[in-house]
Amino acid sequence: MKNTAVKRSFRFSLVTRYALLVILAVIMLVPFLWMIVTSLQSPETLVRFPPQFIPRSPRWSNYSEVFDEMPIGTFFFNSVKISVLGTIGELMAASLAAFAFARMQFRGKKIIFGLLLATMMIPFQVTMVPVFIIMRWLGWLDSHASLIVPHFFGGAFASGAFGIFLLRQFFESIPRELEDASRIDGASRFRFFTTILLPLSKPALAVLALFVFMGIWNDLLTPVLFLSTENKMPLTFGLAVLETVQHNFRYDLLMAGTLISVVPILIFYMIAQRWVTDAFLRTGVKG
Amino acid sequence: MKSRTAYLYLLPVLIGFVVFTLGPVLASFYLSFTHYEIGAKPVFIGLGNYRELLQSHLFWQVTGQTFYYALLYVPASVAASLGLALLLEKKIRGLVFFRTVYFLPVVTSMVAAAIIWGWLYNGDIGLLNYLLSIIGISGPKWLQDPKWALPAIAIMSVWKNAGYNMMIFLAGLANIPNDYHEAARLDGASAWERFRKITLPLLSPVMFFVLVITTIGAFQVFEQTYVMTNGGPGTSTLTLSYYIWQTAFEFFNLGSSSALSYLFFLIVLLFTALQFRARKRWVYQA
Repeated sequence: MKNTAVKRSFRFSLVTRYALLVILAVIMLVPFLWMIVTSLQSPETLVRFPPQFIPRSPRWSNYSEVFDEMPIGTFFFNSVKISVLGTIGELMAASLAAFAFARMQFRGKKIIFGLLLATMMIPFQVTMVPVFIIMRWLGWLDSHASLIVPHFFGGAFASGAFGIFLLRQFFESIPRELEDASRIDGASRFRFFTTILLPLSKPALAVLALFVFMGIWNDLLTPVLFLSTENKMPLTFGLAVLETVQHNFRYDLLMAGTLISVVPILIFYMIAQRWVTDAFLRTGVKG
Repeated sequence: MKSRTAYLYLLPVLIGFVVFTLGPVLASFYLSFTHYEIGAKPVFIGLGNYRELLQSHLFWQVTGQTFYYALLYVPASVAASLGLALLLEKKIRGLVFFRTVYFLPVVTSMVAAAIIWGWLYNGDIGLLNYLLSIIGISGPKWLQDPKWALPAIAIMSVWKNAGYNMMIFLAGLANIPNDYHEAARLDGASAWERFRKITLPLLSPVMFFVLVITTIGAFQVFEQTYVMTNGGPGTSTLTLSYYIWQTAFEFFNLGSSSALSYLFFLIVLLFTALQFRARKRWVYQA
């Protein structure tokens, strides 16, 4: 008797749980679906109310037309260039620094580490104007250098500290005996770092690369701050300009462009989602 | 000798720290006491910028709106994330699918999200108002309505960011030993009691962390307003972060913008400090 009651309440809670999960999944997905639907509307069906949920004759030509309407190919190329180079730079800077923090004793170690972590607390609004002036002084305004080079030095807006923290933890988990053995074999410390430690750290580097890449690809603030010419803009900036400047811009084309900007990152994420979850679980905060 | 090698490895990051963080933090502090326009020399005016700001009606309005936004966004966002995490806590079929779906908005750029939601929020032909009209509600004009624009941005941001804190909560939940729940269950505790007496206290350190970073994030809201409203209609969605931007790069008043950014920094620090002080009251320490 009691057993069936428990079973029933269990089944009920499982059904409720799934019902909630599905409703929430729909809420999360509807904006994406609406983007796809809108991107296939014609200018006439777009403004129809009530809206057409499934375009009767999907206008695939929107996806070619958007290339005529805005230099989306150029935007895309700029995004790829800035994100790839920036990610490489940030990974290099972060892994070098993390190696020093994980494996070396030196004066001021604790203070420097603390200072780097503290930079994460500083809002970008505080450093924004002077960083802009520095870029102007370097002659890097309106050039991709302003968006790429800072990453080789850990990033202009305090994004680098997280990577150093993540990699340091991973490096510390690799047995010290490995380093001792390779040093006895006559390898230099730098050789150990590049030929043994870094290859062993591929999982951590991959997760960091994913986060940094996503951060740069999705960033709007830095491009808006430093760039002004249209053909230098990454996707985020280009789309934002089209949305805000051309108020009557056709939403069908805007959605096609937005979809093009979102798809690469969604694919990346779906491939890597296991690692992402893993990274959250491993760096999980403890009180 | 050994120190020198270590510093060699740290060199890039240290240069970056000095050039892009420490230097700018100090420079911006100095600039906040000057009248400064790009190209001209900064002129020292003491506390002039601060005095002007604290006496301006707009500054207080914008500060109020920033708090209002945080008040709308933070509780809703934390509750949504916790809810998602609790639903996904048990090992159930389709877990990976749901987790992936809930995280999708997080990996999407804020620009894309803001453009999509701007379209959903369209007052005349938007999907949202159509759906509301089905259940007999005539929706507001959302982003064009000074009363609804800021809540609309908050709703969109909850959708965009809930998955991030969900992951942090999931990690926290995974750290709670299952034995506690088992023992309580054997003692006849209901699901609600177990949630109140076990899950919540043991999760409170994670909750604290989430609350702190979410509040800081809420104060910094920028890209949403940049894409969706430009601070409008009127000044109804102008928050401190966007106001600092506007003062610097639309009105070209870099001195005043620096002063604003320091006032902003002070507010953020003050709030974080307050949260740390209140910590002992509700965060469980093992």
